[in-house]
Amino acid sequence: MSTVVVIGAGLAGLASASRLAEAGIDVTLVTKGLGGLQLSQGTIDILGYSPQRVTNPLAAIAPGGPLVPDSTAATGLIHPYAMIGAERVKAGVEYLAELLGESMLVGDPTRNFQLPTALGGVRPTALAAPSMAAGDVKAGDKWVIAGLRRLKDFHARLVAGNLARTTLPDGGSLQVRAVSLDLPAVKGEVDSNAVIYARACDDQGFRVRLAGELKPLLKRGEKVGLPAMLGLRDPLAWHDLSQKLGTQVFEIPLGPPSVPGLRLNDALLAHLRRLGVRLVNGNRAIGYRAEGDAVTGIEVATAGAPRVYRCDAVVYAPGGLESGAIAMDADGELSEALFGLPLARPDGELLHGRFWGAEQPVFRVGVAVDSSMRVLGPDSAPVWANLRAAGGLLGGANRIAEKSGEGIALGSAVAAADAIIEELS
Amino acid sequence: MRKIHADVVVIGGGSTGAGVVRDLAMRGYSAVLVDRADLAQGTSGRFHGLLHSGGRYVVSDPVSATECAQENAIVTAIHADAVERTGGLFVCPPGDDPAFGDTFLDDAERAKVPCQEIAVAEALRREPRLNRRISRAIEVEDGAVDGWTLVWGAARSAMQHGATILPYHHVDAIEVSNGQVVGARCTALKPGERVDIDCGFAINAAGPWAGRIAELAGCHGVEVVSGRGVMVAMAHRLVNTVVNRLAYPADGDILVPVHTVCVIGTTDTLADDPDRLPITPAEVRQLLDSGETLVPGLRQARALHAWSGARPLVKDSRVAGDDTRHMSREMSVIDHAQRDGLSGFVTVVGGKLTTYRLMAKKAVDVMCAQLGHNRPCLTDQEAVPGARQGHNYQVTQRLAEREHDRLQDQIVCECELASRGQLTRLWADNPLATLDDARRQLRLGMGPCQGGFCAARAAGIACQTKVADAERATAMLRLFLKNRWIGSWPVLHGEQLRQMALDAWILQGAHDIEHVAPTGEVPGELRPCDGSEDVFDADGKAEEVAK
Repeated sequence: MSTVVVIGAGLAGLASASRLAEAGIDVTLVTKGLGGLQLSQGTIDILGYSPQRVTNPLAAIAPGGPLVPDSTAATGLIHPYAMIGAERVKAGVEYLAELLGESMLVGDPTRNFQLPTALGGVRPTALAAPSMAAGDVKAGDKWVIAGLRRLKDFHARLVAGNLARTTLPDGGSLQVRAVSLDLPAVKGEVDSNAVIYARACDDQGFRVRLAGELKPLLKRGEKVGLPAMLGLRDPLAWHDLSQKLGTQVFEIPLGPPSVPGLRLNDALLAHLRRLGVRLVNGNRAIGYRAEGDAVTGIEVATAGAPRVYRCDAVVYAPGGLESGAIAMDADGELSEALFGLPLARPDGELLHGRFWGAEQPVFRVGVAVDSSMRVLGPDSAPVWANLRAAGGLLGGANRIAEKSGEGIALGSAVAAADAIIEELS
Repeated sequence: MRKIHADVVVIGGGSTGAGVVRDLAMRGYSAVLVDRADLAQGTSGRFHGLLHSGGRYVVSDPVSATECAQENAIVTAIHADAVERTGGLFVCPPGDDPAFGDTFLDDAERAKVPCQEIAVAEALRREPRLNRRISRAIEVEDGAVDGWTLVWGAARSAMQHGATILPYHHVDAIEVSNGQVVGARCTALKPGERVDIDCGFAINAAGPWAGRIAELAGCHGVEVVSGRGVMVAMAHRLVNTVVNRLAYPADGDILVPVHTVCVIGTTDTLADDPDRLPITPAEVRQLLDSGETLVPGLRQARALHAWSGARPLVKDSRVAGDDTRHMSREMSVIDHAQRDGLSGFVTVVGGKLTTYRLMAKKAVDVMCAQLGHNRPCLTDQEAVPGARQGHNYQVTQRLAEREHDRLQDQIVCECELASRGQLTRLWADNPLATLDDARRQLRLGMGPCQGGFCAARAAGIACQTKVADAERATAMLRLFLKNRWIGSWPVLHGEQLRQMALDAWILQGAHDIEHVAPTGEVPGELRPCDGSEDVFDADGKAEEVAK
């Protein structure tokens, strides 16, 4: 039986491990910690800005779309979407949507939702949790944003005030007001994060109390926006609250720890366990073995002594700067931690002093790949014949500004996994 | 328009100005302090945090050294809440001449700066990260001081004695009649309003800007040179004692443990304009390289933030005009009645934060002499509000406070343990405080995440407690992030770059802050020292509650 080691437990690592295991391959997933999903907003971005607001993300990343040629010309780097292609992004997003089902993800890769954020912005994203869908902005909608006094990461007046003064993407505006509740998640606790509230919301009794406090504050015809905390284990907690209130509710994502991200993370990990993927959690990959032009093993810092996991192929999905997979030292030297892979960098300075000015080019640093996600060297030849990269490690994109992280992760995961499946079969 | 009457107007809200207004108030004068920005937003908040023992100047500037030694004891006592008694070490790293230590010890004795040579092994026991190849170590009484706490302490003391403190008040003109200062015409920046102050005396304590203020009174040629110093805060206290290089003062030769960080300082180059103090990544590298000599491995440690300040140095004919390192740190009090024939005007400039009280005393003494009054200085007699003599600041203090109130209050800034209650109390005192003002008083956003988590919370709390509407709260948040970035980007590498990638992931990635509805500028906010944009005055704007 063929063996693949996947390194990294963000969306790219989880999706490629799943796809490989489903093809009957023996998969070991090595991860130093929780992946990036619980840091993210928990929706599936394909492309949000190019830099104008994008309504049809799949069309925008297709050949002739606005994204790829523009960004390549501006930075001197090839955008990952140019190598992945819109078809495989579509395949990746559809793969995840099917795997998780409509209780976890809804939407259409050819039409972005425009969803409210915890600072009162309106953020484009392709797929979202069904608990967020009612927040897709529509001119003339009446909203009430409900905050909780003891949840410090969401302030209803800020969200409502900014949304109320926002001109919506297709013109028009919302009518938004704010209300605040003082309902403890845990008795006597004044500082509870969204995960603690989400666990409370898994309980029917808490939802009754929440609805009881909230319902008298509502006016006819208002949809209710709440921080993303409506249940961690119970996928229908939000729906139950909606029925109790007699109106539509929607969740607004918060910063870490992200409840919608954790839900996706938990569902994908459960799926991997069912598939029999070997999960090596909390252990850092620290080295590799190679023969000829192939990586033959990954050395992992397991308890006691390092252990080598033999492999026929590797999907390397450790993330980028934010995870520490890519680092810059005090002299400005860039490096990739595990394989010492060559990094593509934008021309010129990587950082500059204007926060609200042009993007910081450092966010585009990453590896260059071919169309099967093999990492390329400066000579444009693969560094290792069986080493493929996926997700945040790929250079050339500014995921944060473009809102393209999950599309790149899923597209590259599918491209890498499918290439491996084909090679090993 | 508002009209205020006072005996004395003090111009400049740094340590000197705050010391002067406190001194005046304690001697029974009615006094008003004005500053165009927040208190200690200039030089007094932009240094390395060293409360000098005097050791640093025993060889190069013995007069300053003696003054430092005397004032250190007084400031430690009256500003116990601002001063941590860390102690200090002068160490001789390999390659430096150990004989300099003998000169140092001799000069220290002459200058009456308490010090004592200790065994190298003892120095290494106290500070295990020190370069193990040092050849000598001399113990001194250096301390760490929070400039913002010190200046606010002096200002609050002045208020208790009847003074008026007006930050964000720009001086437009100094009114002179028949060779006598009679008033100051100001503009309040938050919100925009003209404020005229009638007075019989004005004291110019504007630091690097003192030459410009003197010009307003028609006194020409007060030449204050700005020595630009760059400092870098390292995450963690790599040392718990101030560590100095046992040599003539140079770049990157001091490490000061302040609060939860330690600061490496400093460079010294001539700046043409104290409002333009850009920091280059090359200077940061140079500082880190020099710091390696004292604490090997410093370059691999996590650097948090850099800032630059303008030392106000009175132009010294004895050294070259661009050699700010070797200009005297001595204080100057200029009696403009003698110099320019203008009564009721004194300029006080130069010196150091450590000797701020003494500078203030000398300036007010000159004023009293001009007026023929005999009122003695009392500022060394009484602790400022919030300070209990003998109970000096300790780095664990915040932790103890939060441990005490954690069941009643939220922590807004986890890095620096700033609570929601502290923030709402600050806004109750001063509803116009921006997030940057809150940062200077509470250390909000000054820890490892540099505001990535707490800044949006603080903006939300401002909005939720109706201190600001959503637009103003968002504008304050944007300004705060912009200002943090000015000191972040030149040091970004290693773990801190990773942190900033996470911050961007949250604020731009998840919250899409770039596309939140546009905001106006924050009224009154001026942006010195960023080197990238013009200083501007904005109009006041009415606050509205969200629809």
